[in-house]
Amino acid sequence: MFRNGSATTFNTSKRGFFTSTILRGKPGCALVPPVHHLVKIDKSKLSPRFPGLKYDKDDIRSPAYHPKNTHQDRVQEHYLNTLQSDMMLMNYSHEAKTEKGLKKRTWDVSKSPYHVNRPLRRPQGPEGQRPDVHPIIWNNIPSIDNVILNCYVAESRDNELLAVSALLQLQQITGCKPSIIYSKSNVPNWKIRSGRQMGAKIKLTGLPMHQFLSTLSEIVLPRIRKYRGIKLSSGDSLGNISLGLTAADVKFFPEIDANQDLWPKTFGFHITINTTAETDDRARTLISGFQLPFDLEPSKKEA
Amino acid sequence: MTTKAPSTIRAALVLARTPIVVPKLTKFESQYIKYKSELERRLMWTFPAYYYFKKGTMSEYKFQSAQKKPISKQPGVWYPEGIPDIKHCRERSTKQEVIIPKETPKSDDTSVSRPVVKNPAVTRADESNDLTSLERQLRNTLYLLVKSGSKGEWKFPSFDVGSNQPLHEVAESGIREIGGNKLNTWTVSRKPVKVLNDGKDGSLEFLIKSRIFSGEFVPKNKDTEFKWLTKEEIKDFVNKDYYDNTEYLLDK
Repeated sequence: MFRNGSATTFNTSKRGFFTSTILRGKPGCALVPPVHHLVKIDKSKLSPRFPGLKYDKDDIRSPAYHPKNTHQDRVQEHYLNTLQSDMMLMNYSHEAKTEKGLKKRTWDVSKSPYHVNRPLRRPQGPEGQRPDVHPIIWNNIPSIDNVILNCYVAESRDNELLAVSALLQLQQITGCKPSIIYSKSNVPNWKIRSGRQMGAKIKLTGLPMHQFLSTLSEIVLPRIRKYRGIKLSSGDSLGNISLGLTAADVKFFPEIDANQDLWPKTFGFHITINTTAETDDRARTLISGFQLPFDLEPSKKEA
Repeated sequence: MTTKAPSTIRAALVLARTPIVVPKLTKFESQYIKYKSELERRLMWTFPAYYYFKKGTMSEYKFQSAQKKPISKQPGVWYPEGIPDIKHCRERSTKQEVIIPKETPKSDDTSVSRPVVKNPAVTRADESNDLTSLERQLRNTLYLLVKSGSKGEWKFPSFDVGSNQPLHEVAESGIREIGGNKLNTWTVSRKPVKVLNDGKDGSLEFLIKSRIFSGEFVPKNKDTEFKWLTKEEIKDFVNKDYYDNTEYLLDK
């Protein structure tokens, strides 16, 4: 039933015997036939012992319920009152049409009967498929969707407690509960083993996200000496912009700054701002509306 | 298709001051938010005082002595309001009130940790109903309206466009001609937000959107009157046609 030693097993797969859920941080599931539990079964929900677990997290009866809209959101009000109409005007162009992105090509069936049912050809040029870029109208004005803080601590391969400290740091800054990140694979050269705690990450939305962004733009970034702004090279071309903070920069967060004795060691992290904009230019326009500066003269290197 | 060339082209500037304070909530909204925030407090995690205050320090003593002590559970006692469920000095069936020990405030305190004193959202200009002040109606967007001469009409400041002149430059330089150089403005876009077509002589007026960040509008000509007005107030000053055509461009 559970032939883990067989040649076809996925190397790092580890799975609890009585459950289909993957063990803590361990990727994959057994690929040995017969493969059981292709559909994940959460046994805690089958049991009558924990009725609260059956409810959705937005349901007030759920133990995981956390109320939203607990305060008036001044950043959201700024977006709705000022930014939204300006974004639409700035991105307007006469007779704008949807710009088709690169797509996979079909085969000309008339040339050869062997082309029937053949997988589509890859798009022309060196790049892969790209999504279409739509003109901005009233219902697709870019907005900030979420902000992801990813704190990977390389030193925690030697001391796993550092990952806990990094998690606490993110929780202290954002006031929300982060999740642990585990290393996925064995890399002997880097002394990394799979399944080890390597840091923490958190996805912020709504009020905590706006709170974080305003702290960042009003308190933290102005206090960093010689900060030149987000690099123009940042961005994944799909409207998501990233920036990084070093361990020294993190000390400027008021939550950390207020009791420095508690933080002998801080951890730098990456911030990814995910927007609903379809291009990086639109995303930059939007983000600069939240007072995050961009480095417009990257050639001027600091001395 | 033949189109008659417009006799004159004008560029008008919709100069806006962004809101400085959040908008006022309706009664329902504020009740809803209060309910949600009380719910959040009720469900809050217990404040980890052991984490912030080191055991045996003076700061821990000060903090702990400022806290209200919950009723503890004793054997053989009947509790009419339910049996106390206490963890880390918190009654878990209710919200926790964390009391920050207050030091006696000094009158000439200039340190960063001095208590925050909020400025009122209603300013002096609001009280004296000074419509020419930029520091009025902090919760709303303000727009600049001008009237030239006693017979003129209240409208957005507009200027004649010469040949081969960009609209936004005409509008921005025009506002400095009538209102002085002490304006720090930012043109939102070169594209106009609206074209007003005067039916009689076929003249076109292009509205350019701009935002003011600092400075003030000081008219050079004594005949020029000006007012900073909210969307609702504009309705009372401009004529109905003009308002109907521009109303949807204006923010609350």
